[in-house]
Formats: sequence, C-alpha cells, structure tokens
Amino acid sequence: MPIAAILPYWEFAKKAFAREVTYRFEVFTSVGSLVLRIYLLRCLWTALYAQNAAPLNLPLHAMITYATVALLMSLVLEIDGTRLIREKLREGTIATDLMKPISLPFYFFSDGAGRTLLYGVLVVPTLLCALLLVHIDVPAPRALGVFALSFLIAYCVNFLLNFCMNAIAFWTLETFALQLIVRWVSDLLSGQIIPLTLFPGVVGRLLFALPFAAIYSTPLLIYVGIVSPRQWGTALAVQLLWLAAFSLLAGAIWRAASRRIVVQGG
Amino acid sequence: MRAVLSTPIIETVDLRKVFRSPRRQPGALGALRTLFTREYEERVAVSNVSVSIQPGELVGYIGPNGAGKSTTIKMLTGILVPTSGELRVAGVVPFEHRSQNARNIGVVFGQRSQLYWDLPLVESFELLRAIYTVPRDRYRRNLDEFVALLEMEDFLRTPVRQLSLGQRMRGDFAAALLHDPKIVYLDEPTIGLDVVAKEAIRAFIARINAERETTIVLTTHDLADVERLCRRIVLIDRGALIYDGDVERIKSEYGRYRTLVVHFAQPVASPSLTGAELVAHDGTTARLRFDRNRERADLLIRQASERYPVEDVSIEEPDLESIIRRIYREGYERQHEEAPT
Repeated sequence: MPIAAILPYWEFAKKAFAREVTYRFEVFTSVGSLVLRIYLLRCLWTALYAQNAAPLNLPLHAMITYATVALLMSLVLEIDGTRLIREKLREGTIATDLMKPISLPFYFFSDGAGRTLLYGVLVVPTLLCALLLVHIDVPAPRALGVFALSFLIAYCVNFLLNFCMNAIAFWTLETFALQLIVRWVSDLLSGQIIPLTLFPGVVGRLLFALPFAAIYSTPLLIYVGIVSPRQWGTALAVQLLWLAAFSLLAGAIWRAASRRIVVQGG
Repeated sequence: MRAVLSTPIIETVDLRKVFRSPRRQPGALGALRTLFTREYEERVAVSNVSVSIQPGELVGYIGPNGAGKSTTIKMLTGILVPTSGELRVAGVVPFEHRSQNARNIGVVFGQRSQLYWDLPLVESFELLRAIYTVPRDRYRRNLDEFVALLEMEDFLRTPVRQLSLGQRMRGDFAAALLHDPKIVYLDEPTIGLDVVAKEAIRAFIARINAERETTIVLTTHDLADVERLCRRIVLIDRGALIYDGDVERIKSEYGRYRTLVVHFAQPVASPSLTGAELVAHDGTTARLRFDRNRERADLLIRQASERYPVEDVSIEEPDLESIIRRIYREGYERQHEEAPT
C-alpha cells in the first residue's frame, strides 16, 4: 500500500490521541480505579486460595499475576473504537464521513488505535503503582514476546467483535442492551476474571472452543506459562483462525450495512 | 429541450427512490405488534427525476420540505442507493464507486458540520488534506486564498465547538473546497445567518463558481440566494420534477402581474382603475394588480392621478419567492399552458 493511502489513517490516530488527552480527568480516574481493582483481586484470590487447595498448575502467585496482567490488558481492550459507529448513526454525522474518500472501518480502527495508544502508555504508570501492592511474575523474554504477539492478535479480534456488535446499529440504531450482554458474557467467558482452566470438564472445553478465549485467555495463559512453548504454535493458530473468521464476518456485515444506509434525519 | 453543449457533469435519468418502513400500529399493543409483523409501507421520495447539468453551471435545486431534495443529494453523493433509474456524476455511478465519487465532490450542509468538533479549525483542514491527499503546495495556496476571502485569520486556531454559526459556516466552505472538487453540493448554506454573513457567503459562492468553474448545486429555502446566484433552477415537489429552466423565464411567465401601489393624500373610499384589480386597500394606500402584457403602467398612473388625489406611486415586480409559492399551490403545468410565450 502506498504511503499516501495510509496517511489519512495515521492522521486519524494522531487526532484521536490528541482528543483523548484533553479528557485528562477521565484518564486519571480510569488508572486509579484499575489500581484499586488490582488490589481487590489480590485480596480476593488470596482469601480463596487460603480456603481451598490450589490448582496444580496455578499457584497463588501465578493467579495474582494472571489477574493483574488481565486488568492491565483491559485498559487497552476495553476501549471500543467502533462505538463511533453508533454515535455517528444516531447523530446522522455518518453521512458526511461517507462522503469522504475513506474506508470507514479503517477510520474506526485508526481512531480506536489512537485512543488505545494513550491507554497503552498508561499501562506503565499503572503497572508501577500496582507493583507497590502486588508482586507479579515476569516470564522469559521469549514467552514475553509470544505474549505480545498473541495480545496483538487479541486486540484485533476484540476490535472486530466490537465492530460487528456496533454495526448492528445499522439495522436497529440502538445496540446498547445487546452490547452490555455481550460484554458481560465475554468478560466471563474470555478468561478475563477467571482463568478458563478453572472451569471443569465439558464446560471448560466448550469455553476454549469459543472465540472469547482468543481475547484474554490465550495471551494470559501464554504469559503465566500454562500454555507451554510446545503449544505456542497451536494457540496462536487458533487465535488467527478466529481473526480470519471475524474479518470475514465483519466484512459481510459492513457490505450489507453500507447497502442499507438510511441516514437518520437530515 | 436544452441544447447539449458538452457532456453533462451530472446526469440522472428517471431517478427514483422509494423508502420502505414497517407499518406502525397505533397504541401500546400495536407497538408490540409492529415488532413482529412484517407489514411495510412505501413512500416515494424521488419520482422519476431526469436532470442534466453542464460543467460550470450553478443550479438552484428548489422544493418545499419533504419534496425529495435531500434524498436526491444523498443519491448524488453516493450514500443512498437509488431504487431505479440511472445516475452519473463526473462519469462515475456514485453508489457503486462512493470513494472515487467523493474525490470529485465537496459538500456543505448548513445544519450539520463536517469539521471535527474538538479540534481547532485548522487541524480539521489538515486532516482533510490527508484524507484527500492534497499536495502541500496546493493545500497552502487554497488555504491562504480561503482564509483571505472568508476572513478566517482570527479563528483559525479556535476549537470548532467555540465558533459562531457564521464562522463555522465559513470553515465548512473552506473544508469542502480544499481538494478542488469539480462539483459542490450546497444544502441550505445560508440558513440561520445574518444579512451580512449571508451576503459574504453568496459572494464567495459566486466567486468560486466563476473563477474555478466549479459546478454548484444549491439547495435552499432562501430564494434570495437563488435570485442572487442562479441562472437556472430545478423545481421539485412531492418527489417529481415540475420545472427545469431559466430563472428569468419562470419570472416572465409568472411575473405577468405587477402591482401598482398608490398612496393618496386623503383617504379614498373603494378606489378603482380600468384594467387593474384592487387587491388591498386601507384608505390611504391601495394595491392594484395588473397584467403587464395588457396594460401600460404609465397610463394606469395617469388614470389614477386624474381620478384621485395621488401623493406617491410605486410598482412592485413579483419576486421569485411569491412566484414559487404560487407554483407549489397551483402546480406548474396549468399556469404554463395559460401563459403566452
């Protein structure tokens, strides 16, 4: 792709970053609440582990590491760049965007990425604050690298999932209730709160087969070492499979949506 | 039929758009039924409109609310797919090649801004430069020209949400033209502006059309815009085309009737003149309508001063506003047949 074709999206990302910085208060509160949640989860898991036999492959320190890294990931993954679709549909401003020679899905992606970048930077101070309260394990550099790669794929899967959800607004105009449900379900089933390895038998196997696992569970299990280096290839391949599946789905939804655009008002 | 001078830059043939929406049932139970039934009602927004516009024309696209103006513009910009008919803008079918079409057009909506709300005005321009990949020197030249013409120097660094409506409109005009579009759609560009700001915008539109030979389609309710700017108007009502031609022609066809306004020195009871019809009277002022093809104004004035103590007289030409209002009320065709040409 020529540079000129990417340039607008780079600018969108920069502008989103600049815009987000102006909402300083929101940024600081989200970091504060995250540090608090990290501390609360440490207390919770410590209490739970004191009462029960620890699972073999997930001792307390690994569990706290898991929970802390999961929360740090959520700083970035909970940014919903495609929320813009809903806002723009409701306000009717999507019409003016469609009159520009840009790809709207890429516009949403770059806008989201710009905001993400800001929160990505915030991971550092949050981590430093968190380290005063909890101790987390750091894996070998190679595992860390694979984790980063897996996290990148997870970010894209998460974006596409959000995109599909928000694009439903083209038909219903409002998707808030649906999104709330999907958010709850995915928080629970993606391994953000409870590692999927703790779910027993069939339920556990089913959860690993769902796309939500590709968002939190896979990178986290790589980080804490439950997915061993021998299994890295398979884990990443499954993630990529979901990425491909969601790309196709998002593409189909977008094509159908652009066909039926009926701008509200105006 | 209008003579074909060159290939039209905008051309529609039997353009039609029908909206389908679920039929709503009244009441709370009805609302529930609306959720589950698949009954639709159809509304024809644009009905078989055929128009062709030459490069460099400045056309007024006029119609009452709900006549189908915005729907047409949306189809021309490629964001709405026609139900049937043909449509070509600068050689491109807009909805099939939305992105390619977008490079050829600029759009200004009076009621909706395309500027980025949270950013200083100039940053919106820079973003647009990137979006349309405008070369830096051309961007610089255009921006300097627009800043000077529209007097934007003072608020170039102000966030858009803090701009006044007049300032924002000027910003929107610059934003729509930075990439030198061949065609510009203006939708109510002077709505809500004061007289001075309106005139500034009109002068700018005229200048762009003349100097850059930009084709302009102007949609407005303010017919003073049209009178000042357009030679040609396209009138639609209830989705259908009812007039397409010169502003002057419609004025002479409909402008047969002039009004003679007579002020008397003392109150006069029921004044009357041969050849003119009294339309309003309040004692000292009378308004009399006459057909300019049949009566001569100077003779009527002489007649009036012979009969009554006349202090002052004036003649009112019909303005476009009253003509168009009459067309909406009475329809074009009937009047057209009556009018001698």
